[in-house]
Amino acid sequence: MAGSKKISKEDVAELLNEWNQEFDLFIPSKDEDVAKLAKWDGKDTSFLDWYRNTVVPPKANFLPSMEEMFHFQKDKEGYHIELPSSNGQKQLIFGIRPCDANAMAILDKTFEDAYEDPYYLSKRKNTVLVGLGCTKPYDSCFCTSLGSSPTDSTNVDLMLTDIGDWFLVEAITDAGKELVAKAGSLIGRATKADETRAKEAREAAHSKATRHLDTKDIDNKLLASFEAQDFWEEIAAKCVSCGVCTLLCPTCYCFDISDELVRDRGARFRSWDSCSFPVYTKMPEENPREEKWRRVRNKVYHKYEFYPINFEVIACTGCGRCIRQCPVNWDITQTLEKMQAKAQS
Amino acid sequence: MNDRETEQGLRGQAKALLEEGKVNYIIGYEPGSLKFTTTPLITKDKDSVDRLVISPFIVNNLSEYLTELKGRIGIVAKGCDSRSIVSLIQDNQVKREDVVILGVPCSGIIDLSKVEGLVGKDRDEIDDIVWEDSKVTITVAGDRKEFHIGEVLFDNCLGCEFSIPQEYDILLGESSSLVVDKATSREKIETLEAMSQEQRWNFWEKEFSRCIRCYACRNVCPACFCERCFVEESEPQWMAPVPRWQDNLMFQVIRNIHVAGRCTDCGECERACPMNIPLRSLTKEMCDIVDDLYHFKAGMDKETAPLMTHYETTDPEDFIK
Repeated sequence: MAGSKKISKEDVAELLNEWNQEFDLFIPSKDEDVAKLAKWDGKDTSFLDWYRNTVVPPKANFLPSMEEMFHFQKDKEGYHIELPSSNGQKQLIFGIRPCDANAMAILDKTFEDAYEDPYYLSKRKNTVLVGLGCTKPYDSCFCTSLGSSPTDSTNVDLMLTDIGDWFLVEAITDAGKELVAKAGSLIGRATKADETRAKEAREAAHSKATRHLDTKDIDNKLLASFEAQDFWEEIAAKCVSCGVCTLLCPTCYCFDISDELVRDRGARFRSWDSCSFPVYTKMPEENPREEKWRRVRNKVYHKYEFYPINFEVIACTGCGRCIRQCPVNWDITQTLEKMQAKAQS
Repeated sequence: MNDRETEQGLRGQAKALLEEGKVNYIIGYEPGSLKFTTTPLITKDKDSVDRLVISPFIVNNLSEYLTELKGRIGIVAKGCDSRSIVSLIQDNQVKREDVVILGVPCSGIIDLSKVEGLVGKDRDEIDDIVWEDSKVTITVAGDRKEFHIGEVLFDNCLGCEFSIPQEYDILLGESSSLVVDKATSREKIETLEAMSQEQRWNFWEKEFSRCIRCYACRNVCPACFCERCFVEESEPQWMAPVPRWQDNLMFQVIRNIHVAGRCTDCGECERACPMNIPLRSLTKEMCDIVDDLYHFKAGMDKETAPLMTHYETTDPEDFIK
């Protein structure tokens, strides 16, 4: 931990203004009580008091809920396609939680490793993540069951840990080091006592994440339940097939593509889609997941079975949004526990 | 209402219905996985009914599930839920003989977001919420605070006219006095009505800009029983699938008109919305317009024709200019 730094909470606004000169800077904000990332307004740091996590996950800054892919115009020669203009502006997300930073690494598997998605990557490669460790995980949080913790710094560039009136600051990547350099004298040296306090804060936060799910070898255990239709019908019974859990999931990435055409000009958009919707897999003659239990099963298996097979990582970070936001309290940790109990019986 | 006694009565009735083969399923509420939360219990198993609960946190309108289950169903219903069931019967979506309605007189449901607002803490940071008579005591970190119960009930509950189920087979528990606060119940609507057209337009632009088209509002709504929603029609496409605020607004306006005469002001659309869009300001206003114009309240009488399938020569027609 040698060389760690610190910043006073009182100086955060000044720090953000400093960084704001180079970046489009986003902070947690409330829009009618719905927490989401919003552009830094130059002064309001009240989120430091209320912020636990956003309702809308940071994936929205990389895969927006709607995005123009290109626009087109038709004339005698055919279609002329133009890409949307990109401002190429660098983006800084301040206060991303460890679970959501981990989610970005999970999304990279799809949008960078499986294929290169230019829309996603142009934003992702232009973004630095400043992580803020949790001090008050929700009762729905279970990040510690997925190899992470409320203060995990693995997938951020710069990590902040709350130590009272100050944040301990650790540069994790070169981009993080550059941010520290740009902060000048706002970020100073941390003392040994600060580091001890940070260690205590990490341990305290970890102990507050009390929801636990046994994920050891979970993908293999799940295989046994795939064909158990009765089990899945029971599990799925109360699901209302809305898109809350998937659209607000930081690792769900499905999108729909649609064209809008008025006379000879139009545009192609992509927008968030959800495998919970019955029409998601509807084809002209059939729908392989018309029944609700098949859709619920798919959602669980995509995260805990197919993603591990394809990318060697579970596509769930334990952020708990799907549990907190579900209108009928369908709880994925309960389903996974029941599945594992079933595998052992 | 004494919830514990009602609960015991309910479990006994539900078990008997399953054991005697009078129903294939029981739909009720069981404790949820989060504090102060219940979750729908849909079961064929007579032992599972011991998990059934009745509490001021039974938010869901369970009639939503009636159209997707096959067989005879025993269903727990509060006042507004029972009207949704009647409305489904009126629309030929459910047969009266296929449901055994376990009616529960309701004195209102606690809105956790109001509780959170009053004490400035999130649900999971609250130790206890106890409702006694007209007071609710909220405990946070050992500190007890008392409020009038009217401050924490859902807006729709404060405007409730029929807390006792309108249609039932078995009535569980006794009705207790209802806390009515019509002014608070309509407060958001009054605020909107006081606005200029431009202000209202700006208001809804801001609200619907948050919509992510998760369709939770539609999917928890028992009145939205279409097998295929207009919003998903693609040939031709009625609505853009992208969550642009104008399209989001249009979707909700059309949905409102589709549920006119069916909406019982159960408030589920607004409660389910993860983006806190005040959807009830639209649905409640629609209910009131329906009542004013046609003297019709949804789901009051299963023998009456659904509002929009029927006309009277005396129906108002001043909209035809």
